[in-house]
Amino acid sequence: MNSISRRTFLGVAGAGIAAAGIGVPFISGIAGASSTGKVLPSRAPLPPPFQRPLTLPPVLRPTRSDTTTDYYDIVQSVTRATILPGLTTRLWTYNGSFPGPTIRSERGRTVMVRHTNNLPVPTVVHLHGGRTPQDSDGYPIDYVYPTDMSYYNRHLRHDHAGGGHDMVTGGDTRQGIRTYTFPLQQRAATLWYHDHRMDFTGPSVWQGLAGFHLHHDDEEAALHLPADDRDLPLMITDRSFDTDGSLLYPSLDPTLVNQHGVHGDYVAGVLGDVMLVNGTPWPVAPVQRSTYRIRLLNACNARRLSLRLDPPPPSAITQIGTDGGLLVEPIHHDHLELAPAQRFDILVDFSHYAPGSEVTLINDYDTAAMGQVMRFIVDDGRPQAFRVPDRLSAIPALRPADAIATRRFDFRAGDVNDHDGWLISQAPFSPDSIAAHVHLGTTEIWQLNADFHHPVHIHLSPFHVLARGSGGPGPFDAGWKDTIDLRPGEQAKILIHFDGYQGKYVFHCHNLEHEDMAMMANFVVS
Amino acid sequence: MTITGTTPIRQRPATSSRRRWPIWLFRLTITTAAVLAFDQAVFAGQFLSGSYGALHLHRDNATATVAAIAASIVTAILWRRAGAGPLWPLPAAIVLFALTALQTWLGYQLILAVHIPLGVTIIVLLIALTAAAWRKTR
Repeated sequence: MNSISRRTFLGVAGAGIAAAGIGVPFISGIAGASSTGKVLPSRAPLPPPFQRPLTLPPVLRPTRSDTTTDYYDIVQSVTRATILPGLTTRLWTYNGSFPGPTIRSERGRTVMVRHTNNLPVPTVVHLHGGRTPQDSDGYPIDYVYPTDMSYYNRHLRHDHAGGGHDMVTGGDTRQGIRTYTFPLQQRAATLWYHDHRMDFTGPSVWQGLAGFHLHHDDEEAALHLPADDRDLPLMITDRSFDTDGSLLYPSLDPTLVNQHGVHGDYVAGVLGDVMLVNGTPWPVAPVQRSTYRIRLLNACNARRLSLRLDPPPPSAITQIGTDGGLLVEPIHHDHLELAPAQRFDILVDFSHYAPGSEVTLINDYDTAAMGQVMRFIVDDGRPQAFRVPDRLSAIPALRPADAIATRRFDFRAGDVNDHDGWLISQAPFSPDSIAAHVHLGTTEIWQLNADFHHPVHIHLSPFHVLARGSGGPGPFDAGWKDTIDLRPGEQAKILIHFDGYQGKYVFHCHNLEHEDMAMMANFVVS
Repeated sequence: MTITGTTPIRQRPATSSRRRWPIWLFRLTITTAAVLAFDQAVFAGQFLSGSYGALHLHRDNATATVAAIAASIVTAILWRRAGAGPLWPLPAAIVLFALTALQTWLGYQLILAVHIPLGVTIIVLLIALTAAAWRKTR
């Protein structure tokens, strides 16, 4: 081989290696990710889909009522349930059920819920979407300590270093029992309640501490929307299971007492590989040939969902509401994208399907098992027509011109006590640092910038999405939101009106692993 | 082995017997640096698409890129000294080393308004340097 051809040969070989050095990583990662997170593979065999019936969480009855208030009792306890066939799963529950019991409330009546903590660790209850005074909003360190402190005291390490702020106390704490007061001076909406303990919300919700709170008002009642057995709250959660049926979760500290956080890249978010709807894997539900009101809640820790019905209903999916209640007018969609904690209130007309039709709720953000959610089977009854009202609600207009301030918050990865974590405007959560001082009754524009997917939730005050990037709001941003689906590299603007109560509230990423790894900040309303 | 006086001293010709391996070493290190630097753009694009693992690849690959450029400083010296190569690769590699060190710091500080254009500049310079190294025949 002469030197020219050898040089040519080496050059071509080198160019090939260089091309591979770029091409292989380029091709292998080109799909990106629909959810920021990492799948935690189950060790138990996955159950076949569409075998077990959908159940609805029990509706909680008040223990007593007076002229102004309904009083409820919830006991938080460890419960064993059959989620996978032939196996039992240990859960943390509200009143022994997962999801917890549904509370239905009426505007104008106060709800008081007495929570008793019979779990091994402190808990905090937050009514998500609730317009709630600060002392009942479930501030992350307003712990309800366990009735029985023995487990907690046995595992609490006073000497532990690192892990940061998980030892912070000084909140408004109770032992055993706390009564939360919800005035609920707000529009009818699909709310939900869940645990909000600082640093441990992810594993607590994962183990079952979540339930629906459906709020009603006269404006909604006048629409005569499908009700009772045609009003289906669906809590969608992804979970992973060990061989014995117990839930897997990659906690650094399995006692869930001291060190917060999760192993390795699970800090991006924990994705399960079993899709549960109201606690049942891939359930099946019979439906009449009629219109149903379905309240979709993405209660996954980190998984985003892109939902559609297959075959699609001829009248499309009709969205009538979202996080903060009814829309002004219905919106028709062929699919819905839900970030964690978001709710979509929809009407689905099953009357045009042939009797016996199988209608599958599909998740297009995944394939195979996780690409399916549940199935409806249409019965052979006589079709019943329902006319969707043209106008649903009168939403008081918020105008960008009314904003008295513009603030900017950056939601990005960063170090938290020398671990990979998540920051808001370069700062990890501390109960003592205030990111924004706002005034009651005023309106502001907040610009939210993200590096990865960050479903940003703001307590107390619902908002309107004004813009995403250089464009307007997206197709799923209509109405009053309390959680915005920020996508990687996205800059969004929201218009937020501070209304209701004074006090210190939090806003945070509702990817619960991000929240637990410090992506939370305080704002004070005065 | 030491060459002793018994061996006749060969007159070194002006060009033809220059050692060839130093130029190949420089080509290897600078091409590796260019590929790794381009991969930084690939990984950045991926983590901006939501793949968290690509963020770690971007961080780790930054270190690898700086290391490949540091190696290119060494191979530039070897090319000059042992291979009688040109003078320019050494200052070029030193400047690129400084720029990539700064680039890494800017990345950790999230000063993206500078980080991204500087990243593009570094990739352009590395590709130019790589092309020049392959064009040189000695």
